[in-house]
This record gives sequence, C-alpha cells and structure tokens, in this order.
Amino acid sequence: MPSGLFHTSYEKDEQIFPTLWLKYWVWGFILFLYLVLPFIAPALSNVVGINVLHMVNMICIFVVGAHGINILTGCTGQISLGHGAFMGVGAYAAAILFMRFDLPFFISLPAAGLITAGVGMIFGIPSLRLKGLYLAIATMAAQFIINYGMRNWTSLTGGSGGFSVKRPEIFGYVLDTDLKYYFLVLTVAIVATLVMKHLLMTKVGRAFFAIRDRYLSAQIMGVNLFKYRIISFGISSFYVGIAGGLFAHYILVVSDEHFTMWLSIQYLAMIIIGGLGHVIGGIFGTIFMVLLPELLRVPVELLSDVYPNVFAVFGTLREMVFGMIIIVFLIFEPDGLAARWATTRDYWKLWPFSY
Amino acid sequence: MSLKRALIVVLALSLAVGLAFGCAKKKAEVLEPITVGGIFDITGATSAVGKDYAQACKDAERYINESGGVEGRKIKLIANDYAYKIPEALNLYKQYRDVNKVFAIQGWGTGDTNALKEQITKDKIVYISASYDSALTNPKKTPYNFFVGTSYSDSIRVALKFVKDQGCSKFVFIYPDHPYGKAPIPAGKAIAKDLGIRVGPDEIVGLRAIDATTQLLHMKKFNPEWAWLGGTTPSCSVIIKDAAKLGLKTKFISNLWGFDENILKMAGAVANERFYSTNPFTFYGLSVPGMKTVLDLNKKYSPKAVHTVRYIQGWSAMMVMWEGLKRAAKAGQLNGPGLKAALESLKDFSTGGLTPPITFTPTDHRPSMGVSIYKVAGGKIVKVTSTSLPRKAAWLGW
Repeated sequence: MPSGLFHTSYEKDEQIFPTLWLKYWVWGFILFLYLVLPFIAPALSNVVGINVLHMVNMICIFVVGAHGINILTGCTGQISLGHGAFMGVGAYAAAILFMRFDLPFFISLPAAGLITAGVGMIFGIPSLRLKGLYLAIATMAAQFIINYGMRNWTSLTGGSGGFSVKRPEIFGYVLDTDLKYYFLVLTVAIVATLVMKHLLMTKVGRAFFAIRDRYLSAQIMGVNLFKYRIISFGISSFYVGIAGGLFAHYILVVSDEHFTMWLSIQYLAMIIIGGLGHVIGGIFGTIFMVLLPELLRVPVELLSDVYPNVFAVFGTLREMVFGMIIIVFLIFEPDGLAARWATTRDYWKLWPFSY
Repeated sequence: MSLKRALIVVLALSLAVGLAFGCAKKKAEVLEPITVGGIFDITGATSAVGKDYAQACKDAERYINESGGVEGRKIKLIANDYAYKIPEALNLYKQYRDVNKVFAIQGWGTGDTNALKEQITKDKIVYISASYDSALTNPKKTPYNFFVGTSYSDSIRVALKFVKDQGCSKFVFIYPDHPYGKAPIPAGKAIAKDLGIRVGPDEIVGLRAIDATTQLLHMKKFNPEWAWLGGTTPSCSVIIKDAAKLGLKTKFISNLWGFDENILKMAGAVANERFYSTNPFTFYGLSVPGMKTVLDLNKKYSPKAVHTVRYIQGWSAMMVMWEGLKRAAKAGQLNGPGLKAALESLKDFSTGGLTPPITFTPTDHRPSMGVSIYKVAGGKIVKVTSTSLPRKAAWLGW
C-alpha cells in the first residue's frame, strides 16, 4: 500500500481530483449545494439572522470573479487594480446586450465575458514592460478610465442614475426569484472552478506559474512572455466579466458605484486572504469577504434591543473591525485560508497518530 | 484536559444555553412587535445630514412605543448604516424582506430608492424615503413609494419663482453628479424657461468637495445673479465660502439638504444675505405646536444633544408612518397593501406645523406643495416667506 500520492502516468497527474476519497467528498458537497442547501436556507436565515440564500448567491457570483483575479495575480504574478472596473464592463455589457439588443441570456452573458476579455487584454498590454508596482498603477488607471466612462457616457450606461436590468430568461423560464437564480449562479461557479482547476494543469497554466515564479527562466525555457501575459489578462477578465454579468442580472440595477476602486481592492483582499494561486483559496477568500461584514452586523442588531443607539456608533466601527481582522489574518496566516485548510486536513487525516 | 480547553468548553456551553434561553424567551411574547427596516447613512457622503435624521427615527421609535405603540403592539425599527452605497442598500433590502419580513422601510437616498423602486412594487413593501424625488410621487409607476415633505422639483419651482420676484434674469444650476443632485434639474430648467430666466452652463460640485473655485470661476463668466445649490450642507458651505473669497455677487438658493443650522458654523458670516434655501420643514426649536413634543422628549432622552432640521425631517417621516400603521391596524390590514391604503387615506394630516399638511391619494403621492424660503441674516436663520404651489396634474412625477 503506497504511503502517499505517487502518480505513475500523466493522466493520473492531470486528474482534477487526485484521490477517490476527495472525489466523493466534492461530489457529495456539490449534491448538498444543489439539493439540500437551498431548501434549508430560509430556516437557516432565521437562526443566524442573515439572509443565507442572498449571501450564497453573492458568494457564487464573486467566486467566479475571484478565480479570475487569482488566475492573473495568484498564478501569473501580474497585479491588477482594475478588476473592479472590469467587472463593471461585464455587468454593463450583459445588461446592454440583454436589454437593448434583446439577445437571449445564454448568448449575452458569454458575449459580455468576451467583451470584458477584450477590454482586459487592451489594458494588459502595458504588462509587457511594466512589473509590480508600476503595473499596479497602470491597471489602476484602467479602473479610473472605465469608471469615468460608466458615469459619463450617459447615452450608453444611463449615467449616475444607473441602468435597470431584468432577471434573465432561459428558454422561456424566467429566473425571477433568488432561489431560481441560485441554481444558475451555483452552476456557473462550479463550472468556473472546474475549468480553472483544469486550466492550471494545462500547458497554459504551467506557463502562468513559470512566469510568476521567475519570468526570466520562463523566457529562457521558451515561454512567450507577452503572449501568455495577455492570455492571462484575457482569461482573467473573461471570468470577472461573467461575474459582472451575473451580478447585473441579480442586483437588477447597474451603476458605477458598484465598481469602484474599493471593489478592486476587495478582489485582491479575497485572494490574499484565501491563498494566492490556490483554486480553493479564491473560494475561501470570497466566503470570508462576503460574510464578514454581514456577520459583524448581527451582534449590533442583538445589542440594539438594549442600547437603541448602538448602530450609530458601530456604523463606523464596522469598517475598523473589518480592517483589523484582515491585518490579523495577514500576520497569523500569511499563506491564506487555503494553507490553513491544508494543515487542518492533514491533521485529521493522520489523527490520532500525527507527530 | 488542560485548563484552557476546559474553559473553552464551559464558555461554549454557557453561550449555547444562553442563546437557547434567549430564543425561547422571544417566542414566549404574545404580541410580536411590528418590524420596520431602516436604511440610513451614518458614515457615507451624506452622513453630515444623515446622522441626525437616523437619530430622530430611533427616538421616534422609542416615543411611539412609550405612547402605546400601534394598538398595543410595539414597533421595532431595525436601523442599519449603508454608507450611501447603492449595493449596500440592496443588500439591506433583501435582508429586511427575506429575514425580518418587514412590510415597511424607512429609507434614505435618491439613488438607492430609485434602484429599489421596481422591487418594492413587486414585493408590496411600503418604502418611506428621505429622498424627495418627484419621480417617486406617481403611484402609477411607484405605488409603494412615499415620502413626507415637498418634492425637490416643487421646491426648485418655488425657488425659481422666488428669484424671479427678486429680479433675477440669469441663473445657474450647481449640483453633484448624483441621482440626488440631478433629480430636480429638468423641472428647474423648464420653469426657468417659462419665467424667461436665462440659464447658464451647469456646474458640477461633488458631495465631498472641499474646493469649488474652478467651477465658480467658470460660472463667473456667465455672471448670474442667482444660482441653485443641489448638494448637502458641507458642500454648499464650501461653495458659499469660495464664492465669498472670489468676491462674487451671485446669491445662492439651495435644496433643503444644503442648508441647516450647521451652515452657521460651517460658512460663518459670509453666508449672511448670500445664502437662501427652500425647505418645507420647520427648523428645530421654532415655536409650532408639534415642536413641543419633540423638545420635551429630547429633554428626557438626550438633554445634551444638539439637533437640526434633519431631526424634524426624520421625526415627521416616522410620525406619518405611525399614523398610517394605526389606521391600517384599525382596518385589520397590517401589511404592505394595508399600510399603503391607510397612507393614501391621509387628507390634510397635521404634523403640528412641523411640515405643511400631508395628503396622499391613490393617484397622487405628492405629500404637500408648500415650501418656505429661509435665509441667513445677521448670523441667524430667518424665514423669508412661505408659499404653496397649485397641485398641477402636469407636474406629477417629474
């Protein structure tokens, strides 16, 4: 019996789930997400006091976006402060294609992704020459340019008042409730996760890691830096664009206020907290970033029965606690939640014989 | 078992038991309170005016419960800060709708109220906003949107008529590029055209502006006698101060959110005879019958607190909602459509002079058409005149 994971063929090495055990767990979890969670969500909401289904929907949408920036920043090592705006491009594109051009949803959503990919690739061109901080500033410029466009190109985007969107219709079936929408975003999130997992094991994914780890060596080995950086920007923006499209149809009003610099930073925070370059890191980071502000509200609502004015004080405190928790995370778990997950799993795998 | 682990177990146990008891106790209550959602701005771009408004709503909740509530049932206002961000307001809305199961919400800004209006209509939740946007007054389009006061558009109409009487021939609109700032501008331009006032190019000054020199210098080329200010108190005070610094002769008349007691501190003497404002509400502490309740209760609740007209705005919104809830409870219809019908039965409802009388009908959600004009004179806020517009059907909804 082997005492570890030893792959003897390339097929085995490229499997999405390396062990049978993991495979069953993951499929079990997916079944749980499809068949159990949506139906216990209302009861769960009453117990914990936050809207569980809404939170899960938001997590599914932002997981797609977080995977996107993880491909770029976590795997290829190219920082981007423009992903908030790229998500906006996807949202507006999906909204405009669906509402103005009456395209069916299953065409308008991928089209929005492709448009975002195009925009992302254009703003990715400076990555050929720029690295690190300089690239951060260049992509930040993209953030400001796109944001300005969203606000001032009034005939296209509706300006600061926002752009109203309808819930999508798939073959005559309108996803008008949060529950119906859940199955859509969940499916997209799962597909996005599996595709990303697979992508990282292909030639393209290997090239990304090579560029991240040492771009000079990568170039010497024959990796075309410019090509793969642009591909990375493209795939990454495609993911965020899809997330933006899903977000637009979920939230029903698209305005430039959703897609500010703050969102770009939140995206970076998600993958840093979750674990850079780990597929599961994007998921953990998103769950953390989406849930934390909501959970911070629960104690305030409980306290407000006793101290009616506590919300006014805590309104400002919430942002501070949020910042504090992120700092604490970076100090005590710099490799992110994915690393913590791995250690916990190893501990239980060997329990009680760990050494 | 180490001490640390034992302690954790004990703590966890006590927490679980405590929570279980807490939940059990809640269920034992016979009369559940009526929950009302609250979306306020405590930390965002309009927090300077939002804090006092939220405070008033919380105080009104306490006052309502101390004076018998709604047919013996208390009301519970779940107040949350949304920092003037549309996404956060949408979040809170879903929370209130799905978890707290409210049928009435006290909301805030123009952007978020407009973003929510379709869902509100679909979910049949009565939404009382602090946005007095005219677009919310046509029940054909927004049957569940209400506000207490006089709409921005009607205020701007009064303002332009007022400046016309003062002999104004050239006018400029200054406002933030935000749904709130832009809402009344079409109405203002239309009436300016009717009155024969020439309108110069618009100037955009953001809600968080700390300098308006560029815009004012640009405005100086047109040299208007009067200008409209569509921001909130901090940005308006910046404009007033910069105008004084540049030695402009232009006088300013603002939307109600741009002018309150704080302007005396923020702008100081330069506001004298330079700064006017429209406002349907009575300023805090002025002697009208309804003010006595407010003053008495503040002596009791928070004697040291200093309040502004924003307090009266929040207070009035809660009082009108209370009246609606009482009428709905009497009809046995404590739900969204019931509260809507109850509010639409209000005819010349008196808030004790805090606002002009409030009237809603099933075809017209304009609460009142009365607006007063105030100005700063001698370091004090002085009332100039009170007028009321005719309830023209052609003005409904814009």
